[in-house]
Amino acid sequence: MNESESSPAHYGVVTTILLLAGLGSTIGIIVSILAIGFLEGIAWLNTEFLIAPHERIQLETRPLILALVVIGVPAVGGLIVGFIIYYFVSVRRPLGPPDTILVVQTRGTPQPLGSGIMSTLAAMISLGCGASVGQYGPLVYLGSIVGSLANVLKLKVPNLQAICIASGVAAAISVSFNAPIAGMVFAHEVILRHYAVKAFAPTTVAAAMGFIFANVVFDRPPLFLVVFEGIQHGYEFIFFALIGILGAFVAVGFSKGVLYCQNYASRSRIPAALRPMVAGTILGVVALQIPDVLGIGQETLRFATIDNAFEINELALIIIAKVAVTILCLGFGFAGGVFSPILLIGILFGALCGSVLDQLQIVGHSGVVPYAICGMMAATSPVIGAPLAMILIVFELTRNYDLTIAAMVAVVFSNLLASRIFGRSMFDIQLAARGFDLTLGRISAIISYGSITHIMRSEYPRFHPDDKIGKVAFQLAHIGRTAGIIIGDNDRVVGIVHVGDCTGLAPTTPLGDVMNRNTMRFSESTNVGEALEAFRQSKYEVAPVISSKSQDLLGVVYESDVISEYRRVSDRIRNEENEPI
Amino acid sequence: MNRYSLAILMVSLLTVSNGWAQDDELTISSWGGSYVAAQSEVFFEPFEKEHNVRINLRPYNGGIAPLELLENPGHASWDVIDMTESDALAACNHRLIAEFDRSILHPAADGTPPRKDFVRSSFFKCGIGHLSYATVLAYDERAFAAIKPNSVADFFDIERFPGKRAIQRTPKGIMEWAMLSYNVPVRQIYDLLSTKRGFRLVTHRLNQIRDHIVWWDEGHEPVELLREGKVVMASGFNGRFYDARTNQNIPITIIPDGQFLELSVWTIHRQARRPDLAAKFIGFATSTERMVAFSNTLPYGPTRKSAIDRIGLHAASNASIREHLPMSEFASNRRIRTDSEWYSGTETLRNRWFNEWLNSAGE
Repeated sequence: MNESESSPAHYGVVTTILLLAGLGSTIGIIVSILAIGFLEGIAWLNTEFLIAPHERIQLETRPLILALVVIGVPAVGGLIVGFIIYYFVSVRRPLGPPDTILVVQTRGTPQPLGSGIMSTLAAMISLGCGASVGQYGPLVYLGSIVGSLANVLKLKVPNLQAICIASGVAAAISVSFNAPIAGMVFAHEVILRHYAVKAFAPTTVAAAMGFIFANVVFDRPPLFLVVFEGIQHGYEFIFFALIGILGAFVAVGFSKGVLYCQNYASRSRIPAALRPMVAGTILGVVALQIPDVLGIGQETLRFATIDNAFEINELALIIIAKVAVTILCLGFGFAGGVFSPILLIGILFGALCGSVLDQLQIVGHSGVVPYAICGMMAATSPVIGAPLAMILIVFELTRNYDLTIAAMVAVVFSNLLASRIFGRSMFDIQLAARGFDLTLGRISAIISYGSITHIMRSEYPRFHPDDKIGKVAFQLAHIGRTAGIIIGDNDRVVGIVHVGDCTGLAPTTPLGDVMNRNTMRFSESTNVGEALEAFRQSKYEVAPVISSKSQDLLGVVYESDVISEYRRVSDRIRNEENEPI
Repeated sequence: MNRYSLAILMVSLLTVSNGWAQDDELTISSWGGSYVAAQSEVFFEPFEKEHNVRINLRPYNGGIAPLELLENPGHASWDVIDMTESDALAACNHRLIAEFDRSILHPAADGTPPRKDFVRSSFFKCGIGHLSYATVLAYDERAFAAIKPNSVADFFDIERFPGKRAIQRTPKGIMEWAMLSYNVPVRQIYDLLSTKRGFRLVTHRLNQIRDHIVWWDEGHEPVELLREGKVVMASGFNGRFYDARTNQNIPITIIPDGQFLELSVWTIHRQARRPDLAAKFIGFATSTERMVAFSNTLPYGPTRKSAIDRIGLHAASNASIREHLPMSEFASNRRIRTDSEWYSGTETLRNRWFNEWLNSAGE
């Protein structure tokens, strides 16, 4: 835990505003440059390694070389990625948005800088070699690396690390989608989980600076251009809502598939460093038949908005293949996110819905575009857990009000359903698996994360079963406690006593006769939330913490300390969420 | 040495000495119609006079096949060829044309070296881009009295705009226009065309107008077809249509949407007989003064900055010519810039697809 959290601001309001705005714009510019470098790097690799269709078509007349490239590049890329992740990333898995969320929420220490850089490099190679993973997850992490560097300035601004990381993330999304508003909202919705003014200002500045830099200085092309005339019929909104509901199932199926495959891979006998290569080889074989599954699939994304570009069965086949290879690539350790693949899966799913509607010929419709966009957003928003940011991305990408309203309807229904049957997002589920469960809110997640040992006491009265209860009661009263831990000859906890148990008994009664042997015990893996719940059901206000490995007594935890810790966390959250500049 | 070979030696010696006695000759291959007429006036005739040379013109209608034919013994030799940039790239890759020596270019009037005066994209390994032209869609005003075609999609819309369409017999241009008719953004056209699905969409679009196509091969044909009322719309070069409208009073209007920009490139054949004279000619024809004179005759854009700044009135009609140039800001906002690298890399594939489609006609 960071010390600065409770210290008051050391600067005046004007200085703080200037500091935050300066930090925000600096982070925005740096992230903008790095993000463009990252994206350009991927594009360059795609060109050099013949992953981009634009280059691949030039080999079309030489099918054997083409097949070698399509299978070989992802396989060799996978080998390199596996090697980098295994030997250079401390946690031996690619880093991504869940790691960022965790650091911001718990005010923990970010992963080492070297690990972050190597993980980003691995993502660049993964995407460059055509792995079916996303580019935005690594970009979000890249943004958070830049943001966390602000720590070296050692500024005395409360909660600075979280704000700077959120600014980095806002800039990353702003640059990669050309969507500054969505970037700013994403940082709040997914990373910070609150909308305090103090964080609002720097994230907005960062998102805007990133956008300006990318557009004015580098002249980046818009990510997604779509021409749309408008929704023709009011009843089509019913279909958009239906797509939302169906999209929730796509999202949940996809997320569960990825999580299952990650679990399966970790239990499999294939060495971790070699897993991406296995996934890459299978991906290449699939891509020989269905080239759309390779990489980010920018071309397929565009085709999905063209009427009659696909047959219905072709669409279904590509969706199934893309879901399968993405689950495989992510599960088997390619470095990358879920955002771009689910965008593609979603837009194809939406196009499928539109095509089916077109085939049925029961009612008129406005073409495939709004259905494709609705499908894209309905499938993506539950996976990312960012309905607001998703709606804004549609608005900023298409600059089309009709499409945004349509997408909004789909997103709302999809999120409603998916949050019921799955959870808020795939990131949250991954974090919950690591012990940080945000389902019941930030306070509950923070107190239920990590160990209780930081509020454990090592100085406490130690009683022996042979001690007389008169002396014990006196000692406890003297230190203002109502219960004490009883330790046997072998330094093992044998029981607990409450002063109430001693009333009416002869002062000379040995403690062993009255003590409760069914002592509530904590271990180093017990968290504050669990302790709070345990104390609530117990009359004793103290509990021993016993090492689960050596069975040694590590210390004791008092209920009052647990309650103080709970208050401290909830005060912190309240301050953070209501903090003025 | 027997008598027979001696005879041959005698004859060849005679031929050579005979060549010396005559004026120097230079063979230039270029496109026909008003284009070559303007070139003769602005480049060929002045060059002939200035250097006491006779220029032989050979017709050329694009592609690299004619150059490959020249490789065979017994064929006449070409010295200078006026090629499209994608053909020039392909010919360079096939080593049919010689590497270009930039030192033959003249500096601008104020001494600006060619390296700085030519727009950057005009330098090729085997040639120098000398003008930009646009392949455009145009229609006969008489055919559409009420609503006029206004977009690439209208060109493919047989129901709203019935009538025959004249299209160049090549996959070039028509593929890009088909993509544009699906509202594909210009910068993604070649990415989408790099997939089987892209080809399929193009085929689908072409099938819709299959029975309404009249193919043309030479640059002057579309104007004639429109004039004679044989077609109502046509693809063609912007300068030809301009010339037809301004100088011949034929009611042809260019559709501003989807203009297809390319550079025309002077190249020297690898087996040119007079590479020295060819180089001298290219230097002359790419001088600022000659470029300006040419653009004032036909609205094709010069590739020298010093020439772009000097363009004024159309030589024949005294109308301002600047706004008719392909790169003019008055032209459409959906302008396609040829991806020549993609073109030279997909030559075989595109031609195979196109011929298959042509042969499947009528089924």
